[in-house]
Amino acid sequence: MKDCFDAPPQLPLRPPAQVMRLSRMGSMFPSRLSFLRSLTRRLAAERARITRQVWEICADGFGHAVFSIDLGGHTYSLVAVSKDLPAHMRTDRVIATAWDSSYVLYDGVPEAEEIARITANAPLQEAGRFGPRDLILSRANKSVRLFAHVVEALRAGRQPDASMIEEVGYLMRTTAVYGNGKFGIADRATFDSRPGLEGPFAAEMLTVWLIRHFTHALVEHVGRGKLDPAIRRHLGIGNSTGLGMAPFLVAHPVLLNNWMLVRETALARVLAVGHLTDAQRRRLAALAVRAAAHLGQWRVPDPAHQARIEALRVDWAAAALLLAPEKLTGEMPLAAILSGVGHLGEDAQELMVSLLLEPFGDLVDGLTECMADPFGAVAPPLGDTDALRHRIADDFDWALATDYTDPAECGQFWYVSEAKMEPRLGLRFLEEGAALESPLDIGRRVKAAYDDLPPSPEPVSTFLARYPEHALAVERVSLSQRYPYAEIRDNLIAQSCLPIDMLRCKLSFFGASGFDPKSDRWTRVTLCQGAPLAEELDAGGDDWWLPVYAP
Amino acid sequence: MAAGLCTVIRSANEVMVLAAKAARGAGVPPEQASRFGAAAVLHLGGGGALDPLDAALQAGPDGPIMSLPLVITRIAEGHKGGIAQGLLAPDPSGLANSYVAALPCEASLQRDGTVRIDFNRPAIRPVVSRIDLPDEIYGAWSVLAARLLVPESEVSRSCGAGSATSDND
Repeated sequence: MKDCFDAPPQLPLRPPAQVMRLSRMGSMFPSRLSFLRSLTRRLAAERARITRQVWEICADGFGHAVFSIDLGGHTYSLVAVSKDLPAHMRTDRVIATAWDSSYVLYDGVPEAEEIARITANAPLQEAGRFGPRDLILSRANKSVRLFAHVVEALRAGRQPDASMIEEVGYLMRTTAVYGNGKFGIADRATFDSRPGLEGPFAAEMLTVWLIRHFTHALVEHVGRGKLDPAIRRHLGIGNSTGLGMAPFLVAHPVLLNNWMLVRETALARVLAVGHLTDAQRRRLAALAVRAAAHLGQWRVPDPAHQARIEALRVDWAAAALLLAPEKLTGEMPLAAILSGVGHLGEDAQELMVSLLLEPFGDLVDGLTECMADPFGAVAPPLGDTDALRHRIADDFDWALATDYTDPAECGQFWYVSEAKMEPRLGLRFLEEGAALESPLDIGRRVKAAYDDLPPSPEPVSTFLARYPEHALAVERVSLSQRYPYAEIRDNLIAQSCLPIDMLRCKLSFFGASGFDPKSDRWTRVTLCQGAPLAEELDAGGDDWWLPVYAP
Repeated sequence: MAAGLCTVIRSANEVMVLAAKAARGAGVPPEQASRFGAAAVLHLGGGGALDPLDAALQAGPDGPIMSLPLVITRIAEGHKGGIAQGLLAPDPSGLANSYVAALPCEASLQRDGTVRIDFNRPAIRPVVSRIDLPDEIYGAWSVLAARLLVPESEVSRSCGAGSATSDND
């Protein structure tokens, strides 16, 4: 940890038993620790500039373009390919075979031959083949109605309708952003020590920010006019994401630990602030108003989620009262605020956590350098089966409390689909395939290991020689010694498990806002909304938490 | 690599994931399969032969994919202050060495079979960026990996990302 030699004071961290529950993780909001925020701070610090290298786009908006940017002493280029996609082929589903646009983040500035290779392969996505200089692969579909409306407005010499900008919020939405060696692209390990790309998903976030830049340029090109900067700033990049993202948090326990530990450490530092300056009090009050405005603009079609947003608005009206400047004059006022929202819903509590971090970049931003996992899971093995038993009793009590033979507690199973080799969730008692279940049932596995432990202690290796199927459970229990926030402390195969909560947790770390769940298994979100435009990086541009559209 | 084989240069992650899935398809539990994937990448990236990996997959739960992690665990659990030392049986195939190299902490295997593991220091290992994998091997491993795949049900299809909406909105 970079700043551990002079760490600011902090209060005790919220315990994993509170933080790592799925419903709370599914209530998280983006914060200044989110990866997109870290990226734009870095870009701003370097005064990064986007250069348009190639623009071979026809009047209707089809062709290819290349944009380059310098970051950390390296040059990266977005190669963008725009195609004329018939409406009947436009689908956000993973089974799609064609998209409005496709992208590669390239290491360096591609020569003509490389551009030709990428423009031939990128539109094929999973069916294409990529190389070590292709860092990220992505694709996006248009928001047809907004793209068409903006083009029509610009061609008519006017700006687009404000209500449509606010309602949709993006010109295109990505349906996949692939990294780490997929389909032959570069392994993350080959570039994750480069300045600016060390953080988790940093290359993916850079790609998304550049895609947004491309979509702005594309619509202005086709519309033959310029958008107001305020409108461009509010036009982010949509994202449609589903179960493919969910198992990541289970398969990468050290990363999950580091993300959550950094967030909780940041909160603990902020809560320890003794007194606030006048400027900090005013800032907190202004953020409370902004959050309320953001919630007011957050509208979704799903009635259940809309009801949840409306309940949050009510809660937030009460929470915001605690942030009035005159209420913030006492000792340790931020700890009092968090305590003061404890009776409200988890959405309001987690929104407050994100808000409280916002004015205190000097205390928390350095922690973002600890969110990657450069080493892997380094934990010494447990001494014997008694040590294993005690560790399970201490850290996996949540797993032991569940009766996994109850159909309600094992009603779902995770698997990999034959059609697209993507993670899926099946109904155990209605669908075939449970025998090929993916190992996301960590709680059930730990309890099964616990039940097989011998009455007298023996080496763990002796136990595993007898029960090799418990090796995963033993590994996860061993990790809990060093990584307290590594496990989602809920039963992920329960009938009641909502994968959407896992998606929201991960997407909030990306910096996504405007969660628009379409079911309990997939959601649309918006990335980069309110983020600084390429020409605004000089001004710093870090103040875009919970964007509000104000034409 | 044998002459005349068609190869595709793949990313290390592609090979690691494929090897791990193939091990699972061969009947190996998930943790041991993951370790095999990590070891396979370092083995091939370090110029090791394909044969030991292939043989290990053929042996499935009765071979080194199960036994090597257990032997290493036996050595590791005797650690004092995070440092463990023990002996591994000679392994001319080099697979044991790859398993030791794949540990997340600093670890080494000497010629005499002595393994030293330091849980206080993270591993510093070479970055493996590309691996030549013959098509024949890729195909065979893919067949094993495919044993884990489940046909999607109609219920699943109707709930996936992008379902039940018009994407021309």
